[in-house]
Amino acid sequence: MARTRWIRMGAAAGVVMVFLALVGLIGGFTDVNLIGDQITFAGLMLVLPAFAAGLVAAAPRVEGGERYEMRLSEAMIAAAVAGAAAGVTFALAVVLADWIGAERIRTVFLNVTPQLMEFVNFGQATAPGALLIVAISTLAGVIGGTLRAAPPPVRRPVTSAVIVTLMFGFLQRVIPIALDQLKLERDWLYSSQFDGLTWIGAVVVGVVTAGISGLNARFGERLRGGLAQAGGRSGPTFSPVRLATGAIALGLLLVAPLLLGSVISEVLGTVMVFALLGVGLNIVVGYAGLLDLGYVFFFALGAYSLALLTGATLNAYGIPPEPAISGHLNFYVAIPIVMVIAAAAGVLVGAPVLRLRGDYLALVTLGLGEMVTVLVGSPWFVPLVGGPSGMRGITDAAIGGLAFRDPQRFYYLALAFVGLAAFISWRLATSRIGRAWTAMREDEQTADAMGISTTRFKLLAFAIGGSIGSLGGALFAVKIGSLTPASFQVLVSIQVLGLVILGGMGSIPGVIVGALVLVGLPGLLREFEEYRFLAYGAAVVAVMVLRPQGLVPNVRRSRELQDEERAQDEWAKAVEEGETPPEIATTGAAT
Amino acid sequence: MAGTEAPRVEAVRLSRFEQLPWRRIILVILGIVVIGVVAVGATRTLTLAKADGGYSAGAWRDFVVQGAAQGAIFAMIALGYSLVYGILRMINFAHGEVFMAGAFGSFFFADAYEKSGFLDRDPILALAIITAVAVGISVGTAVLLERLAYRPLRNAPRLVPLITAIGASLFLQNTFRGFFGPQPYGYPKPVVLAGNITVLGVPVQRIQLLVLVVAVICMTVLQWFVSTTTTGRSMRAVAQDREIASLMGINVDRVIVITFAIGGVLAGIAGVLYSLTFEQVQFTMGFRPGIAAFTSAVLGGIGSIGGAALGGFVIGLLQAVGPPLILTGFGIPSVFSLRDAFVFLVLVLVLVFRPGGLLGTGEAEKV
Repeated sequence: MARTRWIRMGAAAGVVMVFLALVGLIGGFTDVNLIGDQITFAGLMLVLPAFAAGLVAAAPRVEGGERYEMRLSEAMIAAAVAGAAAGVTFALAVVLADWIGAERIRTVFLNVTPQLMEFVNFGQATAPGALLIVAISTLAGVIGGTLRAAPPPVRRPVTSAVIVTLMFGFLQRVIPIALDQLKLERDWLYSSQFDGLTWIGAVVVGVVTAGISGLNARFGERLRGGLAQAGGRSGPTFSPVRLATGAIALGLLLVAPLLLGSVISEVLGTVMVFALLGVGLNIVVGYAGLLDLGYVFFFALGAYSLALLTGATLNAYGIPPEPAISGHLNFYVAIPIVMVIAAAAGVLVGAPVLRLRGDYLALVTLGLGEMVTVLVGSPWFVPLVGGPSGMRGITDAAIGGLAFRDPQRFYYLALAFVGLAAFISWRLATSRIGRAWTAMREDEQTADAMGISTTRFKLLAFAIGGSIGSLGGALFAVKIGSLTPASFQVLVSIQVLGLVILGGMGSIPGVIVGALVLVGLPGLLREFEEYRFLAYGAAVVAVMVLRPQGLVPNVRRSRELQDEERAQDEWAKAVEEGETPPEIATTGAAT
Repeated sequence: MAGTEAPRVEAVRLSRFEQLPWRRIILVILGIVVIGVVAVGATRTLTLAKADGGYSAGAWRDFVVQGAAQGAIFAMIALGYSLVYGILRMINFAHGEVFMAGAFGSFFFADAYEKSGFLDRDPILALAIITAVAVGISVGTAVLLERLAYRPLRNAPRLVPLITAIGASLFLQNTFRGFFGPQPYGYPKPVVLAGNITVLGVPVQRIQLLVLVVAVICMTVLQWFVSTTTTGRSMRAVAQDREIASLMGINVDRVIVITFAIGGVLAGIAGVLYSLTFEQVQFTMGFRPGIAAFTSAVLGGIGSIGGAALGGFVIGLLQAVGPPLILTGFGIPSVFSLRDAFVFLVLVLVLVFRPGGLLGTGEAEKV
């Protein structure tokens, strides 16, 4: 019985491999070296599903209420079966493709190039190539299974070493620049020839990580205990470990643009704009529990009202460049006005729709957001906002002679606003208002019965979330210097929602992490740009199915929700007993 | 907490200002504004001379026919939203992508048949095969979606499946983009379907007639299926009470899969009809028809088959006739580009004023 389960798992992994090949995540990345010129991104994508299948096949199972852990030999067999099944499935697809001919398949599936076929055949003819696929997948499966079944003192350091080394490989455009800025030698770590890590570098990174992880396992608990005692207050919000982590993260955020140069600062500036949007949406979705799919409304409102208030000009032909409404205010005078406008708009938009149930509210807001997109680009509003050709000449938010259009300086401006918004949102969350939101989110009727005016607090959430969102829009306008309707698609709303969910609803550090992962990572690997939204979708589904609390969960919320968590564990278990959604899980892990 | 003093209870006092029924007042004002705008716009448009951009009677007739054909497609997609909502109480946001998947997948067959001449030699057989392919792909997508993304979340808090559906929608769109590229493809149309035909004295495009006929057949078959067959009865039972239905020996999982599959069948057929009408497929094509269809389902009363059909036709007519009728009167340029915004506006107004829908029970309005 178990054997069919392993085979099924492996076959699913094989299907994932076919999917990755068809969608272009293998063929397009054969030149992206991670370590040496042997381990490429494409190669990683090719072995990862089989590895994951081995890992899952060897994982402990709950049967009849009892946890059943495999012995090492058993785990290796299970993983080998799963890995081989993955390999056979994929090899069959490759043989079929060879038989039909890549050129013919390519008229439909654009990514089935001769290069892809050569890569998945390892440069061999069909038959030996297929055998190699099966052999390598089996090996990958066995490695995954062995790792899973190994005792924790071995498993944890090895896992962290592998993950961190691969991260170093991914960050090949980031870390070398930082090393250069610090005047450190980089050639031993990153090869100038292959872009990726050198083998020596990879080994050093791996060993160091494993060492740190091992030391942490050995002494970390005692250290944390000591620190907690020394700190006195041991509440989870103020534990010294958390404070230290926070301080290090803040320090890194502060020095990042200095170390990384202007190209990456540009990406980081976008990350910060999205983080700001995330902090705002987090108030609406995470604290108040109102699913808002039209957040782009506030983003556009902020950008365009800032442009109008600070005297930007129209881009359209044949009409006077001065917009129908135009002010010539300073950026810092305009910002409060923009925020007040957005708060008012939040109340106006919110008032009629707030009595709707959650999912209907989501669609109304989606409709409003889409309407803004269409209207801003329509010929109707050309005299006001320039229609399809947009506006230009937006203020650079200068203080005295210090302008902020430069990517590095802009980053600090945005970071300051993110910090401010995060602080406000944190204080709100721990205030009476925040508790009212929590109560309302958990059970609206009970909250109502306890005397909380749900309408008022919902409107408050919309107003505050909206004004922070408009701040994001205003900063975006400053960053780009010109506006076109193309920047205000419904995808913005979904992107922001995605990063809030990935980070963990209701968690501010989560928002920052979410923005870094979802906006930052695809921006750093230029080749990955095209797959950004594929990864978004996969990440959102994977988080919802596997880890609904997000990557960096909100501490207070998870404590409050412990009962609910238990219920969630139950459905998580139901997933385990059926089939884990393999396709989604692995693509999610790859982002 | 365990203090000996009795807790002091303070009465919550609302000021006179706060006691006013604000929501009611805002709704009434909003309603008056909407009715006023519609009335003024329509009168001004209808009294407009042709030279000033007014429309002839023939133009209005064309708008109505076009709207009805569009509405028929919306109705078929709307049924997918409505059936799933009736059973799982969730908005399957990715249903627009189920529609796109079928249409896009069938394109490659249609294209090959056109190039080989089969499409024009034997259009009925060719279209039947193309439709079968579209239906197959749509059903497959819908069933996989249910199995991988929604089933694990069956008992999760209500917003979780909706967020998952949004993620799945993005994932599916970009899967097709990855597979086939971001560019639009021209969908071939058999020569038989080109041109007009006169029905009861009204000139109708052949393709529009086909759309209307197919849609009516599909909805009749669906109505028959749900009301008379055993499977249909179990679907209705599950929609009423999932637990009791399972106690009665109904395999709930199977019924849910069948529901998704039926939605997929209708979406696949709608996908072919839509592509034949607009002669183009692209990976983003599912979003706006999806929203329009969802609006139709809500307008008609989500969860009801008749409601979805009615809602589809109403939305189709509104988005074809509404912008020229109301907006032209205010001298707004290029009213047809505002069609989508118009649909969204209708969605917002429907949910604000009548969330239970035209034929609904009003159940949707909680609190």
